[in-house]
Amino acid sequence: MVPSLDPWSRRRFLQVAGLAGAGTALAACASEPESPGEQADAQAQEPSPTFTDPSTQLSGTLKILMWSHFVPSHDEWFDKFVTDWGNEVGVDVQVDHIDVANVPSRIASQIQAGQGHDLMQYIATLSQFEPSVLDMTDVNEEASNRHGTQLAMCTESSFNPHTNKFYAFAPGWVPDPGNYQRGLWEPVGFPDGPTTWDELREGGAEIMASENIPVGLGMSQEIDSNMAGHALLWSYGASIQDENEKVVLNSPETIAAVEFMTGLFNDAMTDEIFAWNAASNNEGLIAGELSYILNSISAYRSTQDTNPQLANDTFFTPALQGPETGLAAQHVMYNYVIPEHAENPDAAKEFLLHFTDNFELVTYHSRLYDFPSWPSLAPNLGDWLTTDPFGSEPADKLSFLGDVETATEWSVSIGHPGPSSPAIGEVLGTYLIPNMFAAAARGQASPEEAVRSTHAEIERIFGRWRQRGLIGGG
Amino acid sequence: MAEAAIDESPRTARAIARTRLADRDGFLAWIFLVPTVVYVIALVAVPFFLAIAFAFSDVTSGDPSYDWAGLTNFRRVFNDAVFWQSLQNTFVFTIVSMLLIVVLGKVLANILVADFRGKWIVRFLALLPWTTPVALSTVTWLWLLHSIYSPIDWVLRNLGLIGDNVYWLGRPTTAMISIIAVHVWRLVPLAAVIIMVGILSIPNDINEAARIDGAGFWRRMFEITIPLTSPLIAVSALFGAIFTFTDIAVVQVLTGGKPGNSTHVLASWSYIRGIGGGDIGQGAVIALFLFPLLLAAAVLILRAVRRMETI
Repeated sequence: MVPSLDPWSRRRFLQVAGLAGAGTALAACASEPESPGEQADAQAQEPSPTFTDPSTQLSGTLKILMWSHFVPSHDEWFDKFVTDWGNEVGVDVQVDHIDVANVPSRIASQIQAGQGHDLMQYIATLSQFEPSVLDMTDVNEEASNRHGTQLAMCTESSFNPHTNKFYAFAPGWVPDPGNYQRGLWEPVGFPDGPTTWDELREGGAEIMASENIPVGLGMSQEIDSNMAGHALLWSYGASIQDENEKVVLNSPETIAAVEFMTGLFNDAMTDEIFAWNAASNNEGLIAGELSYILNSISAYRSTQDTNPQLANDTFFTPALQGPETGLAAQHVMYNYVIPEHAENPDAAKEFLLHFTDNFELVTYHSRLYDFPSWPSLAPNLGDWLTTDPFGSEPADKLSFLGDVETATEWSVSIGHPGPSSPAIGEVLGTYLIPNMFAAAARGQASPEEAVRSTHAEIERIFGRWRQRGLIGGG
Repeated sequence: MAEAAIDESPRTARAIARTRLADRDGFLAWIFLVPTVVYVIALVAVPFFLAIAFAFSDVTSGDPSYDWAGLTNFRRVFNDAVFWQSLQNTFVFTIVSMLLIVVLGKVLANILVADFRGKWIVRFLALLPWTTPVALSTVTWLWLLHSIYSPIDWVLRNLGLIGDNVYWLGRPTTAMISIIAVHVWRLVPLAAVIIMVGILSIPNDINEAARIDGAGFWRRMFEITIPLTSPLIAVSALFGAIFTFTDIAVVQVLTGGKPGNSTHVLASWSYIRGIGGGDIGQGAVIALFLFPLLLAAAVLILRAVRRMETI
């Protein structure tokens, strides 16, 4: 006799429970309501793509390496956009999106190996790779012929005046405003958020004391900390180099900026900022655990999706005013390079021109995150910022950015007031500026000592690149 | 008949030749060794000599062309305070981790050899940290130690042991403790398995005789188990040391050398200098400092293995 199977044996129960769980999860995903950020305003007109025939007959494969965009909808659009272009011109295009932190090491390894992608993109200067990449003067000239004059800070981030070479092509950039929670700043007397560094410290300290919610400016080895540190330096009238690429960090202005940051840390921040990565300030804002951060609008766009109420309470400020001025670094500066080992440089250059021609689509699909380097490429940007097609409440929340040229009034390239040279690239890559602020804030060194030792290290870096003939000054 | 003989002779000759080749120990030894030799040359020797060559060059990540730079890179590295901090951290992490790995590995091995209900599931769970990819498990720890969402902080807060979050990775001391804890958590299972093999190889008669003679648990532990398993304990300690000394994943994922540069080890600082900063020459110099200790560890492991062979 064959024993009958118990319909609710342990094995059967686990199978049914597992299937039910998986089904519930799938149903939940399928029925997840659209977030406000995904409900693009029906009024908004998605720009139409344009196409210009390539100047030469193209063929073969084009391999592109780029970051995974902070606004994921961009990558979905981009992959289709580039495939469509490839089909049109007869090129098989392969795109690899990787985590932003891994892009420089991937580029370095491919250049050392002499093989890999034909076109590589990063969100900060790639000047350190100048000796091994093609001159992009022809692409830059053609783009300027088509679209007018490029923004100066984008040129400074892709052109080496010392060698007279466009080592990169910079079709777009991203502003770096402050993000703050109005519900926290209103009670302390700043409903429109801080407008100066002193107000940031005053209001931030009050919020910290009353709500135990800190300000979130990183002093860590990551890109946002680099940008925050540079913004503070410039606003105090300090900088790493002058316009002639001479190192001028060790100055009373820098020491004053470091003293300010130490005070801000003591009054309004916690030790968490010393261990941050590039996503940490986003996470803090989205969790409602930071009163103010410096971070484009990507954190806000994520908050729209995850916590609409908090998103509605999130507002923005342009660069904070310091004793000297009010400047911020570009949050992102897109740098495309074509390595010498590229097998299809013609296709890479033609794609860059096509991509630039359609930059308004880039702006649209990045939910107004990406700004073009040629102001003429965003004729609708001003309208979009005034009436956000991606669900901001109130709809004019982003109008402070004005348009491309308004945002550039308080944005500068990372090498400001000089070019973003390979030496500046190495200073960024080794995080000397956030480390300088951190050393003083943690009490490891006095502000004077921190500035002096950082200046000496930067002098060594500049000296080495001068020996290689890639920067001026001295 | 004659035709058959003609047909068979070349075949027979080939068979004899094959047999002779297959019987030649020297030939077979080389055939079996070739894959290992190629592997070692391609993935160990070539990178090692390349690192030596880079250390005396001005090669950068953006300019692979080789120019002789003499001892310049060595001088710059020696003048760099972060290098000395990284060297010190490497030894601190390695020594502290190694001690904890051996002690906890021995404890875990004793648990794993004991007879109890559900032993297989305990063995499975105990081995998980070692079998999980290091990057994946370290990312999990990153969230466990998160400045806002840390469940560890949540538990401590609800137990009334802390007020504010600890910010494990934001303070040098707690960041170093965190790195050591993750190394220990990851490598204890490996040490436990190695030591477990030693414990299981001790004949039961010895323990039984000792028990009959009145030896208690601790006396048997220190006078029988530990002496007889000491070569394997040494091997597990050395493996733990090598894995910790050369590891970059835990430090890179967990702290990236932060806060400041206080938790860098040689491997991570070499990466930051060589790849982040683009100075391959300096990165190579820093990486070369891993070599002397690894060489010493390799010699000690080989000696321990030889001792085991003679036992």
